[in-house]
Amino acid sequence: MIGLDTALGEITLVLFTTLAPAGAMALLLMGLPILSGRASWAEVRRISTYLCLPLIVSMVGLVASATHLGSPANALYVFAAVGSSPLSNEVLCAVIFLMLGGLYWLYSFRRAPSPRLLRLWIGAIDLAALAFIAAVGLAYSARTIISWNLWEVPVAIAANALMGGPLVALASYAVGRCTSLTARRAKGLAALAAGALAASVAVYGLQGVDLGSVGNAVASVTDLVPAYGAAVAAFALLGAGGIVIAWRATRNLPADGTPPEGAIRYQLVGRLCTAAALGLAAIFVMRFCFYLAHLTVGLGV
Amino acid sequence: MAQLAFYFDGTRCTGCKTCVFACKDKNNLDTGLAYRRVWEYTGGTTEKGADGTCTTSCFSYYTSVSCNHCDKPICMANCPQGAISKDDETGLMAVDAESCIGCGTCVNACPYGAPKVDPETVKAVRCDGCADLVAAGELPACVMACPARALKFGDAGAMAALGERGAVAPLPDPAETEPNYFMTPTADARAAGSDEGFIGNPLEVA
Ligand code: SF4
Ligand code: SF4
Ligand code: SF4
Repeated sequence: MIGLDTALGEITLVLFTTLAPAGAMALLLMGLPILSGRASWAEVRRISTYLCLPLIVSMVGLVASATHLGSPANALYVFAAVGSSPLSNEVLCAVIFLMLGGLYWLYSFRRAPSPRLLRLWIGAIDLAALAFIAAVGLAYSARTIISWNLWEVPVAIAANALMGGPLVALASYAVGRCTSLTARRAKGLAALAAGALAASVAVYGLQGVDLGSVGNAVASVTDLVPAYGAAVAAFALLGAGGIVIAWRATRNLPADGTPPEGAIRYQLVGRLCTAAALGLAAIFVMRFCFYLAHLTVGLGV
Repeated sequence: MAQLAFYFDGTRCTGCKTCVFACKDKNNLDTGLAYRRVWEYTGGTTEKGADGTCTTSCFSYYTSVSCNHCDKPICMANCPQGAISKDDETGLMAVDAESCIGCGTCVNACPYGAPKVDPETVKAVRCDGCADLVAAGELPACVMACPARALKFGDAGAMAALGERGAVAPLPDPAETEPNYFMTPTADARAAGSDEGFIGNPLEVA
């Protein structure tokens, strides 16, 4: 396959664009009880501690892609091109988001953190997360790259984050034994993921139609990604599998969120982690196709 | 700002690829890496009529291209490191090896496939217009080597007087990056974006 080299060469970016936006969205969703002010103080502290899980998901993605930042000595040049290069904007947004998230996490361990400050801080992290997801979506926009310069690209990134994020948030709640994991909230998160899955499939369908006619003298997208349809099907199956597992695992949770104990707890954690892994695997498949499809007007594949 | 440019005479080029090898020699490029490439665009069919005679619509022509030191260099606009610069005096593009991280964004964005990431140094490399030779008052190695005298190099105004901005297949529409690449197309040439032909030498330009 012609584009395989590009896609394999960019495998760290496949991983980054899979994990980082989903982690950012998970962090946003997980922190909502803090932002809304409804969570008890004990719950605020528990959620704050376990916010590190979605943060780690995002961070793993960033570390994977940091192989692209070369040596630390020249990493700072990246800020020189903020404004002009969409990739620099993305890195800036990633750094702001992860710094805010990481510092929040450290601060939350203080003996008596200020509840107001935590709330405001969560609000700031949420804004940074949204900006970051948008920046990832736009990072690849270059008008010469005809197979990437499509409206579906940023929309798919956002829809994927909305699909993977709730699953990662559910798993993180379960690991943290958070009382916010009520049957109602779990249902809401699963429904959000299901809606986003449907939206993603629709966007990928439209993108497939648009890509069908894209080609240059060297190759066409249909040569580059012959199995696009099968990939979308795999995405839908993996995503749906994850959502169904999450929904089944959480439908009998107590209404007040009392975390289950013993074997039931481990079972819940195991199933929700499996669900999150399936959701992320689904996104990975389509991100791989994205890099396979790279094609410029003129002479580039 | 002055701007230097290439001129390519498609009616003279025989597709011998001496320019490619002169460039590789000058820049000491290993196999798998070339700053200049000669694209063969070919197509058409030959058919035998009822009376036994053959008619053909076959065509084939060559286009020698390197980095075109464009007026709207999308490589430079998208580089996240600000590692690509355009010289004020000559308009030639250069990559700063110190700040380049080899991320390949320029490779991805350039519609001429001009920049490459050198797998050994993990830095972007490309035609620099033989800036050293030009500064010494000489012509680029590829231009000097062409046995058919199909390549010229000089002030963009003078090159533009010889032909039009390259707009033949398989090149992209010049409006994309406004390349400093002027040419005289062959009679066979098809317009940029044409799908009448295909790349006849995919392995040579890979
Ligand atoms: S040909 Fe490509 S690499 Fe060279 S200046 Fe133009 S866009 Fe940049
Ligand atoms: S490979 Fe180097 S020159 Fe090209 S975009 Fe990346 S940092 Fe810039
Ligand atoms: S100008 Fe120099 S570097 Fe550029 S293609 Fe010609 S020989 Fe190669």
